[in-house]
Amino acid sequence: MLPLLPGVVPFGLIAGFTPVSFGYTWIDSTMGSLLMFAGASQLATYQLMDEGASLWVILMTVAAINLRYVLYSASIAPYLANANRASRLLAGYGLTDQIFAICQRDYPTHDWNLNERMAYYGGGTLVLWLLWQLCTLAGALIGQVIPVFWSLEFMIPLTFLALALNTLRTNAHRVTALTGAGISFLGLELPYNLGLMLGSLLGMLAGLLYKRFSR
Amino acid sequence: MTNGFLIVVALAGLVTLALKCAFIEGQHYFKLPQWFTDSLELVPPAVLCALVIPGIFQDDIGLVNAFGPVVIDPKPIAAGIAAITFFTTKKTIPTLIVGMASLYAVYWLQI
Repeated sequence: MLPLLPGVVPFGLIAGFTPVSFGYTWIDSTMGSLLMFAGASQLATYQLMDEGASLWVILMTVAAINLRYVLYSASIAPYLANANRASRLLAGYGLTDQIFAICQRDYPTHDWNLNERMAYYGGGTLVLWLLWQLCTLAGALIGQVIPVFWSLEFMIPLTFLALALNTLRTNAHRVTALTGAGISFLGLELPYNLGLMLGSLLGMLAGLLYKRFSR
Repeated sequence: MTNGFLIVVALAGLVTLALKCAFIEGQHYFKLPQWFTDSLELVPPAVLCALVIPGIFQDDIGLVNAFGPVVIDPKPIAAGIAAITFFTTKKTIPTLIVGMASLYAVYWLQI
């Protein structure tokens, strides 16, 4: 778990101070982290709220960003299926890229019983959760004293940029990204953040078509 | 506390929780259809790239609000330099630092 933790710190600080830089309080920011506990979608929610996006655009975007969790939970579910409902709900809330990476690596290679698997999952998640909450709280408190001209709100698109570029593993991913960005750019003036929605959908479509016809 | 903010964040939290629990909570886990898995891996580049664009091309940065506008918007140039940094270093933190430094540099060079 330790090697995965340093990457959480700057992201947590950014997620913490962003709502504050948009004029919300540190309590709002902390509640955001507690209720969502999902970095990229927290940032997307804050950015879209600041742009005045409608609720359904925000929720659709959050759902799209978090779709990967369906895959994660599908791959981990067989190991946790017999746990009680409250534990499964807590495990769901605590699911992150990091804990998925670790459990996916270690569950199949260890002969653990359910309690041991839950303890492994819970321990890792608790460490990550505490670190995330502390970092977002620190970010929110720092955000209150940083003057507006520091322009730290620009860290959001920069963070998304780095996350996006990190996904460009194959040509299909590159086609998806270029189409998504291009359509989003052309649709900047469209109402209701349609540019964002169209960019995401047509980007995926372009990537799928590329995959299909490049075989 | 800001009620509107909390309502949106709570609903977004519910959507997140529903997706995270999709299979952990559903007892009948089954194999996802291949087309669904294939599409899923393309969601991050599509959504993240579409999200980056308004942040780069819309709204004024705090510098502009505090000290006034400049001829060339520093955001797209800073984002371009940040992208080059990511491609060379493959690391997020240098990308953020270089991006922010470029933003300040391009703004102040025009003052």
